[in-house]
Amino acid sequence: MSALLWAAVAALGAGTLAAIPRATLRAAIPLQIAGAAALAAGAIAVVARGTPVGAAFGDGLGPSFGLDGLSAFFLAVVSLAALPALLAAGDALRGSPMARPLIALTGLFVLALAGVLAARDALTFLAFWELMTLAPASAILVARRDAPVRNAVFVYLAITHVGGAGVWLALLTLAHEGVLSGGAALGGGLQALVIAAAIVGFGTKAGLAPLHAWLPRAHPVAPAHVSALMSGVMIKVALYGLIRVLLEWCAPAPLWAGLTLLALGLVSALAGVLYALVQRELKRLLAFSSIENVGVIAVALGASLVLADAGQPRWAAVAFGAALLHVAAHAAFKTLLFLGAGALSDAVGRLDLDRLGGLLTRMPGVGRPFLVGCAAIAGVPILAGFASEWLTLQSLLRLAFDGSAGVAVAGALAAAGVAASAALALFCFVKVAGLVLLGAPRTEAAAAAADRPPATRLALAALAAVCLALGLLPALLLPELAALAPGAIAPPSGAAIDLPGTGGLPPLGLVVALGLVAAGVLVATGRRGRAEAAPAWACGQRDEPALRWTSAGFTKTLRLVLESVLRPEREVTVHARAGVVAEVTHRAEVPHLFDTALYGPLWRGAQRAAGVARRLQSGSLRMYLGYLAALVVVLLALVRIGVLG
Amino acid sequence: MSGATVAAGALQVAGALLAPLAAGTVQTLKARLQGRPGPTPLQPYRELRRLWRKSGVRPVPSTFVYALAPAVVVASVAVALLIVPIAGHAPDWGVGHDALVLVGVLALGRFAIALAAWDTASGFALMGAARDLTFAVFAEAVLVLAVLLAALPAGSTDLTAMSAAAAGTGVWDDPAHWCAALAFVLVALAEAGRQPVDNPDTHLELTMVHEGPLLEYAGRELAVLQWAAAARLWLLLVLVAELFGPKGGGFWVQAAILAATVVVLCAGLALTETALAKMRVLRVPLFLGGGAALCLAGLGSWLAGAA
Repeated sequence: MSALLWAAVAALGAGTLAAIPRATLRAAIPLQIAGAAALAAGAIAVVARGTPVGAAFGDGLGPSFGLDGLSAFFLAVVSLAALPALLAAGDALRGSPMARPLIALTGLFVLALAGVLAARDALTFLAFWELMTLAPASAILVARRDAPVRNAVFVYLAITHVGGAGVWLALLTLAHEGVLSGGAALGGGLQALVIAAAIVGFGTKAGLAPLHAWLPRAHPVAPAHVSALMSGVMIKVALYGLIRVLLEWCAPAPLWAGLTLLALGLVSALAGVLYALVQRELKRLLAFSSIENVGVIAVALGASLVLADAGQPRWAAVAFGAALLHVAAHAAFKTLLFLGAGALSDAVGRLDLDRLGGLLTRMPGVGRPFLVGCAAIAGVPILAGFASEWLTLQSLLRLAFDGSAGVAVAGALAAAGVAASAALALFCFVKVAGLVLLGAPRTEAAAAAADRPPATRLALAALAAVCLALGLLPALLLPELAALAPGAIAPPSGAAIDLPGTGGLPPLGLVVALGLVAAGVLVATGRRGRAEAAPAWACGQRDEPALRWTSAGFTKTLRLVLESVLRPEREVTVHARAGVVAEVTHRAEVPHLFDTALYGPLWRGAQRAAGVARRLQSGSLRMYLGYLAALVVVLLALVRIGVLG
Repeated sequence: MSGATVAAGALQVAGALLAPLAAGTVQTLKARLQGRPGPTPLQPYRELRRLWRKSGVRPVPSTFVYALAPAVVVASVAVALLIVPIAGHAPDWGVGHDALVLVGVLALGRFAIALAAWDTASGFALMGAARDLTFAVFAEAVLVLAVLLAALPAGSTDLTAMSAAAAGTGVWDDPAHWCAALAFVLVALAEAGRQPVDNPDTHLELTMVHEGPLLEYAGRELAVLQWAAAARLWLLLVLVAELFGPKGGGFWVQAAILAATVVVLCAGLALTETALAKMRVLRVPLFLGGGAALCLAGLGSWLAGAA
């Protein structure tokens, strides 16, 4: 087993190096794909067998590697998402002048992701963790170097490094106290410190609100396949770290940790999807939607911790399984949607939602899988997103049924919030599918779009099939996934998710019943003969391009209802010439309140503090000598009164 | 499988046929209350027959999304009918009896019809779809809270268990059940597209919510979509009667009580639709927010009772 895994890593490494010389470039992507496939096979085998391979976690500092069930599950998700991403990258980068560095950096990125998951000591973990941050940043800078992109990368690195200090603090403390090897347990204050540091550190990288400000900046500017890996799997690897700390090394985690995670997840889910809804650029919208999905996963993890604290190990395992199921589901549909967005932008040129349209018929090989991805992320039944959200809701209801008063209210509020975020996600992806795929094309570029090469189409179709499979077979996966929780009691397995206290979720029964009725209706309505083609009636309105519905128009009702929350800005300027209106310009925008209301003041405060600090640096030698003398006096005074030494 | 279960299954299927009758009854009662003679309760069947004989139209541009949407909407409502038990009994159709699965299945229909609105890109259809999706954001949150409250006595979201636990007068001692019933009715009005949230009898496109996305459809496709609207009303009437209506006796007595409750609910609906005008679109979330407040108050009362 470990031979296969090492061979996979060697193939990935060879693929990365092969991209650098011009002569071996052609072999780079096939090598990387072979490596990712072997890595997936090895990881799935480890999950299926349930026996760890390689080293166990240790407190030492030497490099050591190994895989247990939890790492192997995440590694399987990473490598299965990397496969289609690499396939699509081959098409997207063909002939690009930056193909060599980008392919090499993609391979490096996949290796870094795998390294974080396989690391079995603190230093190796942290080394790969930093590499995982830097590889996509370099890829973004290689692909584009205009000022806004450089600024986005700076914000990404700044926030993830400041927040990432929490990861260093947590892991080094755990290694120092001998917790990683399972030899010791942390006490009260130190445990609280480690948990808080881990939530800040891993939460920043996972994109949990309010630490998510970098994500909607960095994810949209990366090349599509790198965006897919960042949104689809990198943020999940951060959640893997959080799971390790909270459920394994700090177990049993205190109640406040679970409730904090629940609250952060809820804010992320609602804020993420609300801001996704009002975006006009497809990739930025997808990035905000990733924040929502990470929020849903965090809610499920928080519920798992709280349920474990409330003495309900079985439901705690179910909530944990729900979180992992959503990790897999989100990896599938978000990779699909980002790769689809890349394919669309390669064909049309821009991803402004109001300038696409009609691409389902013009690019069926991209459009149809993209439609499946939209339906899956919208959380409709029998596709990937539904089962995990259903399980999350059920776990939250369980908190309300059996928890103490405070926990019950938290569970009820979280359940309502998750339900609202699911409905918002449906709204959001109806808008995306409608504007991108349906209706008449809105620009000449969209009207002239042609399908992408076969490798991209294959990658997208495979991901759509995974979305369907995850929707149909969650009951087979759930017991396996729930069993990966440290100290878990697995729920019963079967074709339907049949949990006591629920009415059961039988995806296969649902799909058969829905399919039979729908087929019957199609036959019955089709019997009347083929319907005549005619222009859309639209209540007698003529089809004027200027009258077509826009992204902003479709969400207007919701924006008006939530005006006090979203604070949209609107500016209408009427240019009149000699009393006759010559031109009316309209500008509307929904500012990102986390940026304007939270990070803005912080940034301005930091600038002002820096301004004050600069005044100390007068450049005068006498002044500096004065500082030194003052310092010596203060230190002597402290020694004198006994504070020091 | 007992006789009651088989009979309940037969009644579930019969609901598909009776659904237009419930919608017609409300229409007739409403007309009488407003001092008009009004149509007979059988009018919806006549409309369906009329539409069934007409040929369809395929708008240009439209894709398979538009063509499949009616089938998906009908399938979602039909499966929802199978999920809801009748008089506390339901055969195992293989679709489960979970309240939250029901919420998801209804969302599937909403998704399909909203996409169909985008497919023809007709402005009025999109206006209706956008409003429907906006209401759904609030309605789903309140619905989950109401399901939570209604599930508290049973400790389960299995609709059969919820129905059984709501039998007798004991559950009504806790204000939580009253709050759940009231909130459920508010959400049901929004989900079924009735006044004061939406006016199903309107012919003014600008005010349409649920009717808007149907504007382009014709012939048999329109017929099945109109049936689906009636069936959604029937489903919600049965669900409210099942969870909050009186119960007692054996299966057939209970089924008779259920039927009577549905008739009473139809009359109540006619009365409120006569008394209340449709509210402004932007007020609907406030209306549903009231439902959320009721649910939280109910949860507080339940927790105070349990402590």
